[in-house]
Amino acid sequence: MRGRFAEVLLGAGFFGIMATLYLGFHWAPSVSINAFESPAAQRIFYWHVPSAWAAFIAFGVLFVGSAMWFFKRSAFGWRLHVAGTEAGLACGLMTVWSGCVWGAAEWGTPWDWTDVRLNTFGLLTLLALFLVLGRQSQPDGVETRDTFSTFGLYGFVLVPLTYMATRIWQIRHPGPVVAAGDSGGSLESSMALVLMIGALSFTLFIVGHMLISMRITQLEQRLEQVQNSLDGGI
Amino acid sequence: MEGSYYLTTAYLGMIAGLAIWTWTVVTRSRSIELRLAAVESTIGVEAADADSLAPQSIDRANVDATD
Repeated sequence: MRGRFAEVLLGAGFFGIMATLYLGFHWAPSVSINAFESPAAQRIFYWHVPSAWAAFIAFGVLFVGSAMWFFKRSAFGWRLHVAGTEAGLACGLMTVWSGCVWGAAEWGTPWDWTDVRLNTFGLLTLLALFLVLGRQSQPDGVETRDTFSTFGLYGFVLVPLTYMATRIWQIRHPGPVVAAGDSGGSLESSMALVLMIGALSFTLFIVGHMLISMRITQLEQRLEQVQNSLDGGI
Repeated sequence: MEGSYYLTTAYLGMIAGLAIWTWTVVTRSRSIELRLAAVESTIGVEAADADSLAPQSIDRANVDATD
């Protein structure tokens, strides 16, 4: 039943993501040619921002799961940790990729090593990559889970730092266009609507993905248990 | 025109990312379900009983050891 629910979420999210792409190309207005070096490339933003949003949700899930495992030894917490790292890696890579391509079009360079937001988000994605590869290469056990949970707990400090980076240091990455506080958002209403549809769709999509990932981890543990009991019984 | 090239490159990369990620997760899910079903049918247990299998197996092993 839960597997079916996850697949429904995944399908709804996918439909919404494709609708966002269509609306971003055919319905949202073009930006002023005076405001951007590469106005056409600005439409990358309709997937770039929602995938970054989804990555933050995934890193939040990773933090909660890490804490639940580390402090409570919760098997459910470990499944959250695994699902959060996989979703964080996928969404993080999509965000970094689209950001690099947009940077190449707009700034003339895909990366700026002096920009805080770019580098903290890049580190978060590398952390997710380390956790995914590390978990696959190490035998599962309490010590392994403790080590990776510690990285998940301490690594989370990069999330608020990344979120606040463009509010504190305006270096290269554009400032906030929604939820901008006193300065106000600069986004036209139809652009904001497409962006919101994108954010909602990416949220549904990664929640579906994380539910399936948690189920896989549970089944892997059950398979290991059954195989161990079979070996023990023989 | 150059902007369209970047736009296409970015979206194709992200579509590929979404497709690979979803394909990997769905095939892993199907694969593990099939493997689990195969192992459970080999040892003759229902899926619903599988979680209680390990303690029973340990009990059986203890009985065998005392015999």
